[in-house]
Amino acid sequence: MAIGNAAAGLRRENLLPISLTAKEISLAETDTGPPTAEEELVEGCRTGNIEAFERLYEAHGPRMKSIAMNLLGNAADAEDAVQEAFLKIYRAARGFRGQSAFTTWVYRVLVNTCYDLMRRGRRRPEMVASDAVELPPARGADHPLRLSLEQCLGRLRPRHRSVFLLFEVEGFSHREIGEILDVPEGTSKTLLFTAKRELQGMLWTGGAAARLSAS
Amino acid sequence: MRTFECSDLQEALRSREPELLDALDVHAASCPRCREQHALWTAISDAAPSLRKEWETPRLWPHIRQALVREESSPRRLWSFRSASGGRSWVPAAAAAALFVVAAAGLWVFQAGSGGREPLVAGAWRYQDALMTEQALDDVQRRETDYLQSIERLSRLVEPRLRQAETPLVASYREKLLLLDGAITEIRTEIERNQYNTHLRRELLAMYDEKQRTLQDLMKEAQS
Repeated sequence: MAIGNAAAGLRRENLLPISLTAKEISLAETDTGPPTAEEELVEGCRTGNIEAFERLYEAHGPRMKSIAMNLLGNAADAEDAVQEAFLKIYRAARGFRGQSAFTTWVYRVLVNTCYDLMRRGRRRPEMVASDAVELPPARGADHPLRLSLEQCLGRLRPRHRSVFLLFEVEGFSHREIGEILDVPEGTSKTLLFTAKRELQGMLWTGGAAARLSAS
Repeated sequence: MRTFECSDLQEALRSREPELLDALDVHAASCPRCREQHALWTAISDAAPSLRKEWETPRLWPHIRQALVREESSPRRLWSFRSASGGRSWVPAAAAAALFVVAAAGLWVFQAGSGGREPLVAGAWRYQDALMTEQALDDVQRRETDYLQSIERLSRLVEPRLRQAETPLVASYREKLLLLDGAITEIRTEIERNQYNTHLRRELLAMYDEKQRTLQDLMKEAQS
């Protein structure tokens, strides 16, 4: 799938899969055929080519902003996190040797940057986006559970919140989430189940099930 | 089909086993509570994609680009002790160096205890020199304390500027200083375990040097 399709839309099948595995990168290095767009992107980033970073931003920026926004709770912090992540990627890309898929690594840097910002204490993860900045309504924004879910999400522990966001909101697979969060795939599944169970409990207590039935 | 109890609900949702889910469907037809819980579980996944945030940020890429260009043109590329993904790249190197010193010292001791023969490694004595004496250690620690105090004074001067300015460059400096402080703390912890390790002392000195230069750069930046 072309990299430029990354921001194509909400539906999971439209999201760019982070499909280039370490093995594939390794294979690509020995392949005599012309490099793919993604291989060129990786190589461009490794050599510090700013244009390659612009392509990376075009392909993954929207998704990065969304993840950062949901983790940090407001648009300004999300944009700071994306910018900081790009700087870190720029500094470290030279040493990237394909231990994991490049794009997985990019998201890993982003998530760690968000965690760093949360640890620095300036960020308020419990703050919901709608309180902080006027955003255009997301597709499917009329879902009766959206607001309640967003509020409950802010009360989850960061790791559970991350897995829920990456899987259910952003459409990453458990294998990819495992690489991003540096946990085994099985742990990702367990964290997702726990996150959903906690959300279910909070929503149930808050009467969301009744409202859902009524709608 | 197996009998389904209300207590099986969580297991059915966790395992997603088709047989269990079929049993849940049958059970839910006559159990409103399980039906609602299951519906809520499904609704969470259905609603989740609506949490994806999309908004226009026409100034974000220009800012990032500017920061990258500044980074590129910086005479001294910012270096990190930790990889961007959170690892600590200097730790294996420091550990390997420490292991090497210990192994060499062990070899020397072994040689000395086995009849005073010539060391197997001609340069083994050099490692004795590399390990500091008590006197040298006192001297190093005293100078290190003086040096650290001077850097701390510089830090205090820069601190208000770090707090006030919110430009990407200052944020970058702030991040670098945080990394340096983290690395300094970790090396100091290592040194506490092995005070005579000259390699770790050099690493520490290099980090203090870097911190000093960064603070000076930041001062210059603030004055310009």
